[in-house]
Amino acid sequence: MDKIARIDMGAAGGPKVTVGDLGEYAGLGGRAMTSLMVAAEVHPLAHPLGAENKLVISPGMLSGTTGSMTGRLSVGCKSPLTGTIKESNAGGQAAQVLARLGYAAVVLEGKPEGDDLYKIVINKDGIQVIVDNSLKLMDNYPLVAKLRQEYGDKVAYMTIGSAGERKLLAASIACTDPELRPTRHCGRGGVGAVMGAKRVKAIIIDDAGMKMRPPKDPEKYRDANRKFVEGLRKHPVTGEGLPAYGTNVLTNVLNEAGGYPTNNFKSGQFADSAKLSGETQAALEIQRGGSATHGCHRGCVIQCSGIYNDKDGNYVTKQPEYETVWSHGGHCGISNLDTVAKLDYMDDNIGVDTIEMGVTIGVAMDAGLAEFGDDAAAIRLMEEVEKGTPLGRVLGSGAAITGKVFGVERVPVVKDQALPAYDPRAVQGIGVTYATTTQGADHTAGYAIATNILKVGGDVDPLKTEGQIELSRNLQIATAAIDSTGMCLFIAFAIMDQPETFQALLDMLGSFHGITMTGDDVVALGKKVLSAERDFNTRAGFTKHHDRLPRFFYNEPIAPHNQTFMMKDEELDEVFNW
Amino acid sequence: MKNKRKTNLILNMDQDQLGDFFPLLQKGVTVEAHVGCSLELLLSHQWQIPAEYAAQRITTIFLNSRPIDSLATAIINEDAVIALSGAMPGLVGATMRRGGYYAAMREGITHHATNGNVVDRNATVRVKLFNLLLPELGPGFLQRGIIIPAGELSRFFNGKSEYFWQGCRSALLDNFPILPHLLSREDLFPDQSTVRLSVNFPSPD
Ligand code: SF4
Repeated sequence: MDKIARIDMGAAGGPKVTVGDLGEYAGLGGRAMTSLMVAAEVHPLAHPLGAENKLVISPGMLSGTTGSMTGRLSVGCKSPLTGTIKESNAGGQAAQVLARLGYAAVVLEGKPEGDDLYKIVINKDGIQVIVDNSLKLMDNYPLVAKLRQEYGDKVAYMTIGSAGERKLLAASIACTDPELRPTRHCGRGGVGAVMGAKRVKAIIIDDAGMKMRPPKDPEKYRDANRKFVEGLRKHPVTGEGLPAYGTNVLTNVLNEAGGYPTNNFKSGQFADSAKLSGETQAALEIQRGGSATHGCHRGCVIQCSGIYNDKDGNYVTKQPEYETVWSHGGHCGISNLDTVAKLDYMDDNIGVDTIEMGVTIGVAMDAGLAEFGDDAAAIRLMEEVEKGTPLGRVLGSGAAITGKVFGVERVPVVKDQALPAYDPRAVQGIGVTYATTTQGADHTAGYAIATNILKVGGDVDPLKTEGQIELSRNLQIATAAIDSTGMCLFIAFAIMDQPETFQALLDMLGSFHGITMTGDDVVALGKKVLSAERDFNTRAGFTKHHDRLPRFFYNEPIAPHNQTFMMKDEELDEVFNW
Repeated sequence: MKNKRKTNLILNMDQDQLGDFFPLLQKGVTVEAHVGCSLELLLSHQWQIPAEYAAQRITTIFLNSRPIDSLATAIINEDAVIALSGAMPGLVGATMRRGGYYAAMREGITHHATNGNVVDRNATVRVKLFNLLLPELGPGFLQRGIIIPAGELSRFFNGKSEYFWQGCRSALLDNFPILPHLLSREDLFPDQSTVRLSVNFPSPD
């Protein structure tokens, strides 16, 4: 990864490609690349859908190597949903393929005049930007099927559906999985709308003729990767729980804890949660000839995904993740996994974030557009988004907009991004991260990384309540660093519990780049990324007053624990005080 | 269970059918237990779960919807709801973990020891099993017996496929053999009654 491609979509005479060296971005990848570049190069007051915004696409630091779990792709820009800086990442094949072609980043800049739609082909011979108006308003599944006829099955596709073209604020960018299904999405923050604004419908990435990226110290790298994989395989979460049930294994547990937001955050428990659980889902997938264990990219040894078939054994969608099953399920009072799977397929096909869309439908239900628990109505609302009707455009612009248009008070967003599937009144520590992350409410912003091993900012006594601020800070720093490596965040448990697995990760990073990597280096990287993101947001007009949860979390106790969110504003303001 | 009549039903099933009972177990089943003791004693002495297994595999436990950190100080009341889970992914998974590093993040809902007067007596509790613990602990609970309202059991049997009934080798209803297929008859169990259901999964012949 020794070059950066910049594609000026608004250049006079048509899009212009410039390939240059890494310069000040040398050694960066993933979120570190996207956030540092956006912070340095995008005017903080730029309109997110205007020519001044940039869409930075970057494989992780270890993507394209033989290392396991290294296939996450980061996409960054100023978010049209939140107005903040945004990094959204996904699995799929794109990161590996792009990295093998040597690109540390592909940057879409400017904005073309006129109505033409473009596709970008990246291969060993260079980059071509081609007008293809035959793709207009196609959704992701038929779009990829059409592109495959021309470019075949040995490439990776990044595409936007009709939602991205319409510049809806919930629009995602789809990355194809190993079976070339557009199932892995950079979902959060409306990154698909930014790609749509630049009139780019598809990026076709072909690494034919390219080799794996070679490590500086191949032997040490191979050895570290072997230990890393052993660590993942022996840990009960990464070696057993996730492969067997996927992330939806959390449904039963969150419901039991009273932290499963139900009917638009009115209760913390859903009576029919067992019908939606990962255990039920996995059994159904196996019974119908699908699969409960599947990797979103080659090289994943955890394989938390799966294949969801209908009762006749026909493919419906990939295994919906916990957040999706929640947002389209319990959040809307819906308990039918087939309905959730259909909505997941529609999200992927139209190209919208499953969390944002599910939460939005729940808000629409609160507005009286449908009854909670009405499966058919939820599907009808999604069809409005698919058709691009005025109502569909409102819904496709997310929960905050929908709440405003329909006068709903209980709108679960932070910085206008929908909250994921955990009620912060039950799990207060999560609320700290939701409130303060640079990205808007985001469950992955503070992941359970090895902060106890990293000792970010010194030792913390986690059993003290005041330790929650430190925990959230440390989690956010560690997550920013892991997001930069291209590693899937689900490695977190194994590296948290098993110091030797964490050391193996450090050794992979170090031996690949021919340096010695320590925990302190990881902390420094995470802090650098977060500082740049915070600085961008400040210049974009965000203050500490935006680092708050909606008032209803402070005012409305939630069953069964009858608790409100009790963290003080002054405490929240301490999170980034390092 | 305060219902008047209790029917005894014993099933001998093939191993393949164990999964059919998972929906019941994850939703929660009522079991007889000696209450007034610690959760530690309930698990080890009454449910015969080895301490090492509990430490390594049952990493998350809820008592009446509250995550617990100490087995020794959690006292079991009559009608307590106990949910047992294996290791969970994600930050919330880590947060709920027993005695875990992130326990402070859910401090507001954590179960704390109480000194209330808990009468030491035979009663019932409700137990839920999640994820990896379903196949590992499920057979033990099913064999010891679960108490289930007749209506719920009828609904359970009604939805079962032919494959399920083929895997039912024999059934004893109040000690009398009964053809397994007949168990799906809605009028088999008196209304408002409860059934004590024991399921054995003998090893293949
Ligand atoms: S663990 Fe899941 S999300 Fe992570 S790389 Fe594997 S399949 Fe993708």
